[in-house]
Order: sequence, then C-alpha cells, then structure tokens
Amino acid sequence: MSTSVSVQPARWPGGAHARRLATSPALRVAARRLLSAIPVVWGVTLLTFLILNALPGDAASALLGINATPAEVREFSIKLHLNEPLWSRYGHWLGGALTGNLGTSLASPQSVASILGQRLPVTLELVIYALVMTLVVSVPLAVLSARRPRGIIDRLSMVGSMASISIAPYVLALLLVIVFAVHWSVFPAIGYQPVSQGLGGNLRDMTLPSIVLALPLIGFYTRFLRADLLEQMQSEDYIVTARAKGVSEWRVLTRHALRNSFIGLLTVIGLNLATLIGATVIIEQIFSLPGIGYELLQAISNRDVPVVEGIVLVFGTVVVLANLATDLLYSVFDPRIRHVRARS
Amino acid sequence: MSVPAADLIIGPLEPVTAEAAARPQARGWLRSAEIVIPGGILLVLLFFCFIWPLVYQVPKPVGGSLLTTNLPLWSPGHILGTDMVGDDVMSRILYGGRVSFEVAAAVQVIGLVIGGLIGMVAAYRGGWVEAVLMRVVDVFIAFPSLVLVLAIADSLGPSEMHVIWALSAFSIPAFARVARAATLRLRDQPFVVAARLAGTRTWRIMAGHLVPNMMPQLVTFGMLGAGITIILEGALDFLGYGIPPPTASWGNMIATGESFISVYPRYVIVPSIFLLVTVLCLNLLGDGLRSRWGVR
Amino acid sequence: MAGATEAATGAADLDLASGPLLEVSDLRVTFRGRRGTVYAVQGISFTVEPGRTLALIGESGAGKTVSARAVMGLLPESAQVTGSIRFKGEQVVGRSEHDLRDYRGRNVAMVFQNPERSLNPTMRVGTQITEALRSHLHLDRKRAHEQAVELLRMVRVPAPERRFYEYAHQLSGGMRQRIMIAMALACGPEVLIADEATTALDVTTQAQIMDLLLDLQRQTGTALLMISHDLGLAATYAEDVIVMYAGQVVERAPAKELFASVRMPYTQALLDAIPQIDREPHVLLPVVGGRPPDLSALVPGCPFAPRCPGVQQDCREQAPTLAEHEPRRWWACWHPLNRAAQ
Repeated sequence: MSTSVSVQPARWPGGAHARRLATSPALRVAARRLLSAIPVVWGVTLLTFLILNALPGDAASALLGINATPAEVREFSIKLHLNEPLWSRYGHWLGGALTGNLGTSLASPQSVASILGQRLPVTLELVIYALVMTLVVSVPLAVLSARRPRGIIDRLSMVGSMASISIAPYVLALLLVIVFAVHWSVFPAIGYQPVSQGLGGNLRDMTLPSIVLALPLIGFYTRFLRADLLEQMQSEDYIVTARAKGVSEWRVLTRHALRNSFIGLLTVIGLNLATLIGATVIIEQIFSLPGIGYELLQAISNRDVPVVEGIVLVFGTVVVLANLATDLLYSVFDPRIRHVRARS
Repeated sequence: MSVPAADLIIGPLEPVTAEAAARPQARGWLRSAEIVIPGGILLVLLFFCFIWPLVYQVPKPVGGSLLTTNLPLWSPGHILGTDMVGDDVMSRILYGGRVSFEVAAAVQVIGLVIGGLIGMVAAYRGGWVEAVLMRVVDVFIAFPSLVLVLAIADSLGPSEMHVIWALSAFSIPAFARVARAATLRLRDQPFVVAARLAGTRTWRIMAGHLVPNMMPQLVTFGMLGAGITIILEGALDFLGYGIPPPTASWGNMIATGESFISVYPRYVIVPSIFLLVTVLCLNLLGDGLRSRWGVR
Repeated sequence: MAGATEAATGAADLDLASGPLLEVSDLRVTFRGRRGTVYAVQGISFTVEPGRTLALIGESGAGKTVSARAVMGLLPESAQVTGSIRFKGEQVVGRSEHDLRDYRGRNVAMVFQNPERSLNPTMRVGTQITEALRSHLHLDRKRAHEQAVELLRMVRVPAPERRFYEYAHQLSGGMRQRIMIAMALACGPEVLIADEATTALDVTTQAQIMDLLLDLQRQTGTALLMISHDLGLAATYAEDVIVMYAGQVVERAPAKELFASVRMPYTQALLDAIPQIDREPHVLLPVVGGRPPDLSALVPGCPFAPRCPGVQQDCREQAPTLAEHEPRRWWACWHPLNRAAQ
C-alpha cells in the first residue's frame, strides 16, 4: 500500500501540500516541456526572419517611400545594415536577443524593448478585460443552461452562442460603434486613455473593444462548459451517488460537476490564447488602440524587422507559456495527476 | 431489431442533448432538421453565387454608371439597390460570395489533404519522424500566421490566390493536429493492429482503415474551419490586405460601406447579413454533423 | 462522540411489529427511447422488513438495478414508473424531486457497484462523507468532520483521521467501498440497498465487505437489500431471497428453504452454474443456453420458456403468475421442481 507522506499532516495540510507539489513529478514534466519549447520559440523567430526577407520589399524602400531614388535607398540600406548577408543579420539579432537586447526599430529611434513596453500593456489589458467578461458571463450561463436542459435559458443561450460565434468581429465592432458610440454616446468609438490618466476613462475606452473580443469567446466557452456539465450529469457515477445521498440537484451541479469541468475549461482557454492574440490585431486596428497588434501591422508594412521579430518573440513565448501553464494548472486542479505515485 | 436489453437499461435512453445522442446511425439522415436546414440554405447560396449568374443575366458587379448610384432596395433591375459607385449590390454580393466560398473550400481542402497527411504520418510512424514533424507544426501554430498573411499580402499584392496561400498557413497545422490525435486513437485499435500483424502495407492501412475512420472528425472540423476562414478572409479584405476593390468581396464591401454608415447603413448591413448567415449555417452544419456522427 | 452510530442505531429502535419498511407493489418501469420501448420491470412486488436481509438475484438485465433505482427515485425522466413503492406507508412513486431529496440518504441509502467511478475524483473522500451528513443533519463543520471520522472508524478504515483527506484514487477497491458504505450509513437510513456492491472486488475483499455489512446491520438494525447475480452470495448472507428474470419475480422464499428445495427451473439453473470445487475436472459447466429475452416486446407465455429444460406446451401459451404456493414460498411456474438443491 503506498503512503503519500510519512509526516502527519496538519488539519488543513498546507505545509505538506506545498512540499508535495515542489517535489512532484508534475513539476519535472513541466520543466522538461519548458526545455523542449525553447526550440519552438526559436524556430518561430527564424521562420519570421526568413519570410520577411524572402518577400519582396525592404525597410529602406518602405520607409523612404516610392519617390526615393535608388541611390537614396541604397544609402539608407547601408545605414540600416541591410546590405549584410542574411545569416549575419539574423545572427546579430539572435545574439542580441539572447542577451536581452532586442535591437532598435528601423523606422524610429526607439528601442524595440521600449516599444514593446509601451504597447504590450495595452493589449494585455484588452485580453484580460475580455477574459474576465467572458468568465463572468459564460460560467453562470452554462450552469443555468445545464440546470434545466431544453429550458428557456438553455435554448436562448444555445441560439445566442451560435450567433455570437458566427458573427465577424469587424461587423460586431461596427454594430457596437453605431449603437453605443454614435447613437447613444456611452462609449467612445476610437481612442485610448491610459490608466495613469484615470481608471474610469481607461475602462470606458476599453469596454467596446473588449466586448468585441469577448463575445465569440462567451459563445464558445458557454457551449463547451454546458456540454461538459451535461455529460457529467447524465453519465457519471459519482453524480448518481451524490443524488443518492440526498444532495440537491443544484449542489450536485455546482459542487461536483462544475469542479470537474474547470480543468477542461482552463485547457480550452489556454489553447485558445493564440487565436485570441490574432484577433486583437484586428480589433486594435478598428478601435485605434495603441497595442502591439496595431504596431505589428505597421511594422510589417515598414519591413521593420527588429520590431516584428520582437513582437513575434513575445507572441510565440506567450503561446508556449500558456500551454505550459495549462499543464501545470491541470496538476493543481486534478488530484489524480498531482499524486502520480498513486496506487496502480 | 433485437437489442440486448441490458444495453438499453443502463443509463438514460432519452438523450437530453444532441451531443449526448452519440450513436452513429445512418438512419434518418434527411429527417434531422439541424443538418437539413443549414445545409439547404448553404446549397441555395452556392447555387445563387455560382450557377445563377451563368443562367440569368445579372448586372455586372463592377463598372457601374455614376448615373445610378445609391439606388435603394427593390429598385427595378437592382433588387438590393446600387452602391456608391453605381454597381449593383446584389451581383456584388453574389460574386463576393463566390470569393468567400472558393477561398474557404480551397483553404480547407488544402489543410485537410496536406495537414491531414502530415498528422497521420507523424502519429502512425511515431519516433523521430513524429517528433520532427510535430515540432514543425508547433512552430507554425505558435507562429502568428497573421504575420505571414499580412506579409504576403503586403508584399505580393493582394489577390485571391495569395489569400488562399496565406490562410492555408493556418489550416494545415490545425488539421495536422486533429489528424494526429485521431490517428493516435485509432492506431491501437484492434482492427488496425490486426491489419498490421497480417502484414498489410502501411499505405493500405492508412488508406483503407485510418482515413475512413478519421473522416468524420476531419470533415466536421473542416466545416467549422470553413466558417472561421470566411471570417478571416473577410477580415483581410476589411483591413485592405485581401481582395481589393473594385473586385467584389463581402469583406471589402463592408469596409467601403463603413464610411457611409450613418447615411446608407445598408452598405454594411447587407453583406454583413450574408456573412452571418453563411458562417452560421456552416457552424450549425458542422455541429449537427458532429453530433450525428458522434465526434467529440 | 458516537454521534454517527447514534443516528444509525436509531433504526434499531423501530418496533419490529410495526410492519414492513418498504412495500413494493406491482412496480412497472418502462423506458421510452429512440430505439423503442423497453419493459424493464413488469410488475414486481416484494417487501423489506426492518433489520432483515433480502437478496434480489438475477442475471444482468433482469431488472434488479432498475428496481433498486426506482425505490431510490433515481430513474431518469425517460423512465415511466407505475405501481406503488411505499416507505413506512408513504408513497415514493411520483414524489417531487424536492421531497425525494429528504428521503434519499436519510430513509433509504444505496451503495453502488463501481466504487472507483462512484466517488468524485477531485473531492476528498472525507468531504464526500460530510456532504452526506450536512445534507440532512444540521451540523456545523467541526461536528460533521468528527462524525465523518467516526464513520470511517465504524467501517474499519485504518487511520481514519488521515484517510479523511485523501482522494479516491489513493485508495484500494475495498477501501473505497468502505467509504461508500460510510457515506450511505451517515444519516442512519433504515434501509440500505447494496447494488452489486461486491461484484467489482476480489473474492477476499468481497468477503470482508460482506462481513462488514452484516456487522453494521446487526449494530444499527438497518434492513439490507442486497442485489446480486451471485446466488452463492445470497446463500451465505441473506435471510430471504427473491429471484428475478426478465423483469419479473419468478421465485421467492426464505434462503434456507429455497436452497433446501428449489422450485423454479431457472433458479436451479443458476445454482447449477455455480462453479464447485468438488465437481469432476474437465466436465462442461452446465450453463443455461440462449439469452434473456428482448425486453422491448411483451410476449405471451413464460419468459423462461425458450430456455427451460422442462418446458411444456402450456408454458408457452400462458405466463404463470407468482403465487404463494406454500407458506412463505412463492413461485411462478407451471411445472416446478421438487428436488433438493445439490
């Protein structure tokens, strides 16, 4: 018979718990994944570099415009080190990146790091705001739907979620702008107010863009959660046991089924993060938010390689980290995985 | 039809959700409303976009006369009116629809064939082949394909073909993942193991056993992916990186309509409705097929 | 501090002369589904007396689990239940979900077959017991915790204080089943239904659990309804036996008398099929040929007729009714056996 610890745990085993987690195989697995993720992130930066250089057009001509003479373009190119061979340029960038120096933008004297520093928080805020909105709406909605399948709330939420997944973000954005910004001036159509100038204004500016980002997510997560909850409620034995104990249907749903569904929901959110980032590009453009998505668009058309690489690096890292975090959270929420040394 | 009673007694018989009715039965295909209605609407749309203009004399979507700008709905000869440069809106919708469907179909087929092959081979072979292939796929998934899309569009010039290539960068890795997961599940099934032990050649196993069993997953994934593709293609057109005006596409119709939104909101609303209905039907169809075929 | 056992022994205070705890009368359960109608239970009747052990025996699909779930009110909405189930005189069939909540776990409790799937994998086992307690008894956390530990002790779980915090996957099958029993007995129900409670366990553990159940029953005076396909188990542990086939009760008797002289050919066949150590080696195990009937069609005649070795013409035409042919001995057969069991 396996024993978990030889220490007598306290009433709420907080101390022993932490120790177990630290030495757990789950953490080792996570470390291994982290290591194997590094080549992926590197691959991403390499790929970006190759693509940007393979395609016609370069920073010099892009920045100088079409009226520049070939001589001017050539001179500018040399200034931007664009005449050096491909691998040398990439090597320079990579070397710099590994030591923390992401280089300077080709289009402006700003360093890539400071550009990222300015723009990243905006996008981050957008994403977090949207995720909060999503969870606040979709979890209760899914629970209520699962409580009475085929009931009014269920039917409405099914229809609504279908529609919200199918609507294009740019269409939704335009609609919201017409209704809330033009018709009733509740929210501004474009513009951004940094938090430093007042949280209220900042949130007000971010609300419409966040709704656009959140709506399809709400649809998706509500459907997912509802399906997972229902599947448990209908076919899992521990649900029957709970009912047999005399637990109320509501408590069975929230205390038993929902608890088990959280793991799945987190996985889905983590995996979705990549597409989410892609969506922010469009939304930032529409609402003129100074985030990294918007910056990316400009950098690409300027062939501003260092900036693009910097952003791509961030994107890639976020995706990889999100996957890892999802795995780690698995072990926090699912005790089966936490105690890998359980009885076989 | 005699069914062992024990089979029916355990658990509820009346599935409360469509998802729970995961029993693959071919019977009653046509009776399922959740498949027939969206499917039917799509067929109607496809007909009007592709076949109708060949049969009926539809006004040209481009090159309208300045004399007929901004005609309202139900105008004679222009059932949905004309736009700000005098082009017939209805025919722009139809030709724009062509673009959407062509791009969606092409991108999904490319993804299914190439991505499906990669995923299947990777999972079946295992070992270093799988490791390498899936790493590459991972790179493409982590890579913001948007960069690729925008870069291609920006440098090579916007066109339908470029949009298709660019969007395939999304669909190939996605299908690869699905095919890999499906193959992993199928690989250890008794009937595959039996075929392997009997000495059946690998490609035969793949073609005869793996592919047919993966098709439900791949097809439903493709349906749902088609909806996303159409939205993405529209997004590209909207941002100016996709098909440029005057060629009609739903996305650029919405973009050009944006400036007129307070005066003639229909320029935005009409293509938006078509976009919504198309994607909705694709999603419903994909969902309906998924529950009918018992795919998770 | 023996709060749990106190609540449980409340059942022993019941006056034995007050009549049966559970009276099931002409219970019929029909499922209407996509594939047609299934007549899972076709009119069964039995009673459960306080403090006694009743075994409900039958093959898979005979309707035993469905009947047990009907008694608990746990059947899904697609099930149509008619007939009468009375617990201490009060009707269970047709009760609202709200009223059933009070009834389940408090009056009648159930232990299920697959303990590894019947326990919530992400909840500590102790919490699952306190949940049972707090659903019915108004206890604060501390008291509930103490009672749960007591219950664990009662079901002979070693180191109960520590086990409280563990999860289902950390425990063995036998241990999990003990947890299930603790959960079931937490609020002192008067009837405990053990639905194939030991089927998924190995033989040694099976014996341990059965002994535990019987000890607890003696301690608390709970009536035990054990459901199984194992006639041998019934012989060892039950006082009364009911045999079901194809949704109907076909034989019923006190255990001793049943095994002394079996009447139903089906019961005899079940007995014959029990592997015995003193049988000749390399002899074919006498199994009953054929399969149980398809319950989606009601056919005339005895349901066992197609497989009965002693079948005769009248068996096929008219279904025999269950009747008390001898004192406390019921059977439904036109041509019963009179042999003593081997």
